[in-house]
Amino acid sequence: MAPDVTAPPTTPTQPPSRGWLRWRASGVTSATSQGLALSFYSLVVLIPLAALFSSAFTHGWGVFWRDATAKEAIDAYRLTIECSLVGAALNAVAGLGTAWVLVRDQFPGKAIINALIDLPFALPTVVAGVTFYTLYGPLSPVHLTLTGTWVGITLAIVFVTLPFTVRSVQPVLETMTFSAEAAASTLGASSVRVFFTITLPTLAPAIITGAGLAFARAMGEYGSVVFISNNLPYHTEVASSYIYSLASSQNPVGAAATAVAMLVFALIALTAVSITSRRLVRGR
Amino acid sequence: MFTPRSVAKRVAVALSVAALPAALLLPTSAQASTDTVAIVGYSVAKPAFTALETAFQATSAGANVSFTNSFGASDTQTNNVANGQAADLVNLSYLPNIETLVTAGKVPSNWASQELNVAGVNVALTGRKQQTVYNTPGMLTDSVVVFVVRQGNPLHIGRNWLNLIKPQRKGQPAIQIVTPNPSTSGSARWNLLSAYAAAVDAGYSPTQTSSYLKSILGLTVAQPVSGSAALSAFLGGTGNVLLNYEDDAIAAVKAGDAVQIVYPSKSILIENPAALTNSGVNNPGAVAFYEYIFSPAGQTILANLGYRPVLSSVWKSVKSNFQAYPASGLNKITTFDPAGWDTLNNSLFGSSGLITGLEQYAGSGA
Repeated sequence: MAPDVTAPPTTPTQPPSRGWLRWRASGVTSATSQGLALSFYSLVVLIPLAALFSSAFTHGWGVFWRDATAKEAIDAYRLTIECSLVGAALNAVAGLGTAWVLVRDQFPGKAIINALIDLPFALPTVVAGVTFYTLYGPLSPVHLTLTGTWVGITLAIVFVTLPFTVRSVQPVLETMTFSAEAAASTLGASSVRVFFTITLPTLAPAIITGAGLAFARAMGEYGSVVFISNNLPYHTEVASSYIYSLASSQNPVGAAATAVAMLVFALIALTAVSITSRRLVRGR
Repeated sequence: MFTPRSVAKRVAVALSVAALPAALLLPTSAQASTDTVAIVGYSVAKPAFTALETAFQATSAGANVSFTNSFGASDTQTNNVANGQAADLVNLSYLPNIETLVTAGKVPSNWASQELNVAGVNVALTGRKQQTVYNTPGMLTDSVVVFVVRQGNPLHIGRNWLNLIKPQRKGQPAIQIVTPNPSTSGSARWNLLSAYAAAVDAGYSPTQTSSYLKSILGLTVAQPVSGSAALSAFLGGTGNVLLNYEDDAIAAVKAGDAVQIVYPSKSILIENPAALTNSGVNNPGAVAFYEYIFSPAGQTILANLGYRPVLSSVWKSVKSNFQAYPASGLNKITTFDPAGWDTLNNSLFGSSGLITGLEQYAGSGA
């Protein structure tokens, strides 16, 4: 099938809100790819999520609400959200700093450091968890015991989610030209002022996106935090571990209800991130 | 609206939507050979099965049998098998797990008897006909709950369950307990059941028993997901006393870890069941292996790993290696409730059970 020559050329500058135009304009080839993409997305994401929701509401709204708002669940949400928020915030700062150094500075071994950034993604999270336990447990060789504390949980979260902010900020920083910053400097602005009035606003959408992804990922983190947390119900038990214990003890409906609650929190966070980052882009 | 192009487009979308799942379903898994036996066990049983399988494969019956193994927290494993994970032989931490699998239709209801009959296959289990120590059918291993402490027992942790919640010497801080999470771990349920039994045995009223268990949980500083994870946490420096299976504790001592065992003066008899599943009954390799692990040869291997063997003949030759318990010091679960786990699993660990309700005090201090 030949591509539709009457279709207006789509350009990268076309705003995403006018996607329906592209749908109408697309030909059979792109319809096939849309179909494939949609069915793939359904199989991998939508169908499992739908199954999860239907499982959560197996016994109706009342049971769902009871399961989703059990005291142990609420304590687990609170701990998980607090640690994830702090972790994402720390990541925003640390990720920006790391990306900055990697893009703007020259130093020996830079290429190696750049390649190492993604390693937390590759390392099985359980390995990270055991390593943190050995390093920051009661027998810590550096005399720092963080087991059973929110600090320890947050540290593990920062480790496994660090690449998100670095990798979202890095490309923006790379394509940023120095001209605006240079002009501001020439006009007498201090380097701090240049950073806060020019550099940071340009990078803000990327930082927020990276931190948002890190937050969402942290909400579901299990392997790296389950050891260092000590897993005490109502105190240091993260949501993923609570869900695992429900699923293990013949309570799949309770597990699904709790998971749905976590998904709702993550969805709220990601939507907020998306809106904020779009506003920032438009406001620029 | 229905131009040829739009129709073609719809057809293309529909075809590709239909084709993808079909393509994904195409590769079917290879037919499993009957000589491959799928073992699903609770976390602590892993080294035992490694040893049993190696020894079995050296016998004529086991020469052509190969194994797949899966080990994890007992309730989790049970749930996985109930939901379809392949299993020919299951070894789980406590009886209710097997009963869950019977209810799920995965294990024959007569699993503990000497004659298994599933789908017309009649299997006579000769290993079962031997005399056993405690006469509980279907149990592969016995053990007791012990206190694992740091080498030299620096906090002078004593043998009395009821004193565990008090400072062991004047002026000492309260001890810190590690025991797995009872939601995921069968080991945790045995530990807390043993504490419960000690209180009931001492004549505590229900209120006193509840208050005692609340203190035990209050002193608990970590509840890792499985018995193995709990041992790792303890070896990693968490807590002063780990509640554990005797066999796992013996393995840790043998491995050279800086810990020692304190035997509580009264403990509960731990019985870990093993069962052939419906697929296992029809798998000659699985049946032969099941016979083997209940045979004197298999039971001797288990005894050398620190399990108390269930066969009287083997127990007689190894019992000098184990802490002796007078009959009054080692109670079966049925001592505390005639229905055993059938009642206690729910009344202690069910959604409105005594210990489930006290979990909120975990880590809150004595």
